[in-house]
Amino acid sequence: MNREPVTDSAINQARGMVYQLLSSLFAKEVDHQLLHELTSEQAQGFWAQLASESAFKADVDTLVSVLSELKSDKALLELAADYCGLFLVGTKHSASPYASLYLEDAEGGSTDEPTLFGEQHQLMLQFLKQSQLQVQSSFPEPADHLAVILAYAAHLCNTADEAAQLEFIESYLNNWVGNFAAKVTQCDSGQFYSALTRLTQSWIQAEVTGLRAEQ
Amino acid sequence: MNRRDFLKGLVSTSYVVLSGASVLAPLNALAASGAKSKDGWLTTGSHFGAFKMKRKNGVIDQVKPFDLDKYPTDMINGIKGLVYNPSRVRYPMVRLDFLLKGHKSDTTQRGDFRFVRVTWDKALHLLKDSLDEVQSKYGPSGLHAGQTGWRATGQLHSSTSHMQRAIGMHGNFVKKVGDYSTGAGQTILPYILGSTEVYAQGTSWPLILEESNTIILWSNDPYKNLQVGWNAETHESFAYLAQLKEKVKQGKIRVISIDPVVTKTQKYLGCEQLYVNPQTDVALMLGIAHEMVTKKLHDEKFIEGYSLGFDRFLPYLMGESDGVAKTPEWASEITGVSPEIIRDLAKVMTKGRTQMMMGWCIQRQQHGEQPYWMAAVLATMIGQIGLPGGGISYGHHYSSIGVPSSGAAAPGAFPRNLDEDQKPLFDSNDFKGASSTIPVARWIDAIMEPGKTIDANGSKVTYPDIKMMVFSGNNPWNHHQDRNKMKQAFQKLECVVTIDMNWTATCRFSDIVLPACTTFERNDIDVYGSYANRGILAMQKMVEPLFESLSDFEIFTRFAAVMGKEKEYTRGMTEKDWLIKLYDDCKAANAGKFDMPDFESFWKEGYVHFGEGKPWTRHAAFRDDPEINPLGTPSGLIEIFSRKIAQFGYDDCPGHPTWMEKLERSHGGPGSEKFPVWMQSCHPDKRLHSQMCESKEYRETYTVQGREPVYLSPVDAKKRGIKDGDIVRVFNERGQLLAGAVVSDSFPQGVIRIHEGAWYGPVGEDGSKEGGAEIGALCSYGDPNTLTQDIGTSKLAQACSAYTCLVEFEKYQGKVPEVSSFNGPVETQI
Repeated sequence: MNREPVTDSAINQARGMVYQLLSSLFAKEVDHQLLHELTSEQAQGFWAQLASESAFKADVDTLVSVLSELKSDKALLELAADYCGLFLVGTKHSASPYASLYLEDAEGGSTDEPTLFGEQHQLMLQFLKQSQLQVQSSFPEPADHLAVILAYAAHLCNTADEAAQLEFIESYLNNWVGNFAAKVTQCDSGQFYSALTRLTQSWIQAEVTGLRAEQ
Repeated sequence: MNRRDFLKGLVSTSYVVLSGASVLAPLNALAASGAKSKDGWLTTGSHFGAFKMKRKNGVIDQVKPFDLDKYPTDMINGIKGLVYNPSRVRYPMVRLDFLLKGHKSDTTQRGDFRFVRVTWDKALHLLKDSLDEVQSKYGPSGLHAGQTGWRATGQLHSSTSHMQRAIGMHGNFVKKVGDYSTGAGQTILPYILGSTEVYAQGTSWPLILEESNTIILWSNDPYKNLQVGWNAETHESFAYLAQLKEKVKQGKIRVISIDPVVTKTQKYLGCEQLYVNPQTDVALMLGIAHEMVTKKLHDEKFIEGYSLGFDRFLPYLMGESDGVAKTPEWASEITGVSPEIIRDLAKVMTKGRTQMMMGWCIQRQQHGEQPYWMAAVLATMIGQIGLPGGGISYGHHYSSIGVPSSGAAAPGAFPRNLDEDQKPLFDSNDFKGASSTIPVARWIDAIMEPGKTIDANGSKVTYPDIKMMVFSGNNPWNHHQDRNKMKQAFQKLECVVTIDMNWTATCRFSDIVLPACTTFERNDIDVYGSYANRGILAMQKMVEPLFESLSDFEIFTRFAAVMGKEKEYTRGMTEKDWLIKLYDDCKAANAGKFDMPDFESFWKEGYVHFGEGKPWTRHAAFRDDPEINPLGTPSGLIEIFSRKIAQFGYDDCPGHPTWMEKLERSHGGPGSEKFPVWMQSCHPDKRLHSQMCESKEYRETYTVQGREPVYLSPVDAKKRGIKDGDIVRVFNERGQLLAGAVVSDSFPQGVIRIHEGAWYGPVGEDGSKEGGAEIGALCSYGDPNTLTQDIGTSKLAQACSAYTCLVEFEKYQGKVPEVSSFNGPVETQI
């Protein structure tokens, strides 16, 4: 156990790590390596701590339980098929993880912008450029993909003040992740990704509440 | 718990995310300078038109028509929606059960969308493994890679060429003959007029406008269909249609649209309509011919000098051979056209210069060969074939036919076949007694009944035992008939592979799905002006291929590499090398006739213009001297009676044009007691077949409650308590669909229209549950081929008969399902 006094920067790093973890889980399917890490002893401690918050407990428990049952290639492939059906194919079963789709929906109509690679993609590109960042070329997705936005939030946790963090999280995550979580829950043929998405939603809500209180 | 305490606790776990490295990276210098893709206008083109596109911040921002296109279609407004579509195929995908069990997978799961992402490398190896398995187990008759169609434009990346060359380097396969659009027409007309006619250049519009007194548009809607073309369309025909409209207004040309429906062209031209009962055109033509003979209106001299077999046809026409004289009264009973009007038509058509212009719809029905043959007989009796503004054409509604051609050579394409010295990995040509080529629309029958022998165009075709299909840039789950029958057939296939840019229903019913980029994500070259060959267009890449999609060239070059044949495939040339070669070859072919600059200058300018062409009259040389310039028929003459066809002995296609009753026909015909309504599924007004249906914003300009429109008459609507805007269930014994009612005076009682190309979107049979893979599913969007009949036109062409289709419809009372054809969160309610 770390007995040193906990600094603000350590806390921000821990918050950033949660964003980073969520980003990784939305960015690609769970493979053997990621599974190994997510079920390591260290990770167990992390999950347990996360579950100590009552708002997260049910979903964390689901994630841990699903992960513990991924004992074969077939089980991993089934989870990959859940991922694919939700996030990679545009079908009625899908919940494509792009902010623009949910924001347009929330405004109750389509805009003149392209459906993918639209306004939200451009806005995120600007944020990234300001921070001297870009989307990895190995991740050929629009910049308003949830994984990109979460990764950027992780970056802000370590580099920006809390007011700037709050503003970003409120304007680019909190305003659509609820719609997204509802859609994932509706479409998911398994349990993992609906739990992950609900956890993301709860985490962001807790963040917004916490950061507001500190303003 | 206190938030700070909770976060402290997190720190104490000292967990570090190791894998899944961040999706973010430091900005590199190249991207920072924005040098990767400069903003600005570029030139490109598509079936919908040639146009310019503006790139802004690395995405396509605006689309405007090509300067030389004076009549652009508003379909170009749908282009951005095609590219940035939520239903893009983003990564190579494999159906989960196929990945687990390969050729022994549970095929009843096809269509249920359970896919996993794989790498390109894995996907291409899977493709090769599947081909290996089929070739070694079944030989070439087990593989059908011949279903091809309206690939995206571009001569270098033509999806058909790439797929067939690459798959052909692996092994031989079953191919098709004919196409869905004109299957009956292109088979019968070589016997009658010596060429397919449907894809032949027609008499130039300026001559028609100058010389014609009467134009008969027979089941023909050029104002609708000329919006799209096989190459980059520039819509020059519309200038001539505008002149025709003026001439109609001035009373200088009489245009009669013979059609059950008030067409878009009729409305535009302000011309007359002659209503005819659906599928009865041959009876109407016979009635007209009978009147011509009775009143001696026909041109006996022309018949004598230019045709063969009128004497064999006459006894049938006059009723001497079968006891039924094809009088106007006889025809009237069947067609719903009064004897007086039929008599008048005979007079009108033989007075002055008459140009008959046939559409393609009436040959997409049972016995679809007959109306084309009988129309040729009528034109022969009128005696004006080969005169400017007279005779008959079968293509003036297609791809700028009738616009005087420049005469320049168009650029060639990437080769579709193997080079002469190349051999496939599996070189067997043993089709195990089955045919290696089958009529295009009979492949589902082949899958269902392998080994069965049928008659086709004077030969016997034995169906191969097809185990695997490969499609590229082709969507048979749009253009083939009878979805429920297709589902049964697909369950018998071991492996289905589809390469496309968006998730068509064909992708959905596949095992391996590979993402091709759109036309606008690669460089290419094409002719513009379609049949007019007006010039050459640079198709300049607007943006890099989205997600992990690749150009057709790249996909199959990589596949060739998996086979160890990359060099053979590309001939050692890059994409850029090929582009320059296609241009330079074209330049060489035009040397001395049309000046073309070097490639770099052409690419910079965006196009090379060949200029205007000279007016030309179809069949003029034949008319001038039929001995020196014979037709391509066995006799060299127009064959009113075909000895060859008669020798085939087909009961459904005898030796001269004949009226035959249909399996299903409305307005008192067979089956109309139970299903009283005829459904026409003609080419759409706002799409190219199924291309562009997925473009959401543009689609929303015509859908009704998010569904494909079903056009129906006020009488039929009232009878069924349907109001404009209602959701309607259309059904018959073959299937059911939902569509949105558009009540319109343009449609007569007993006739409805649903445009083909409406994306298939199956949901559970009762609309209330998830589903789609099962037989009997309800189409939630309105694909008319859920209802059409999958039978051949006759033993001659064995072509598509989508127009022989009766249905019933009702106001939909059940739970309204979400449209499942397209996807996307924005499509569905949360």
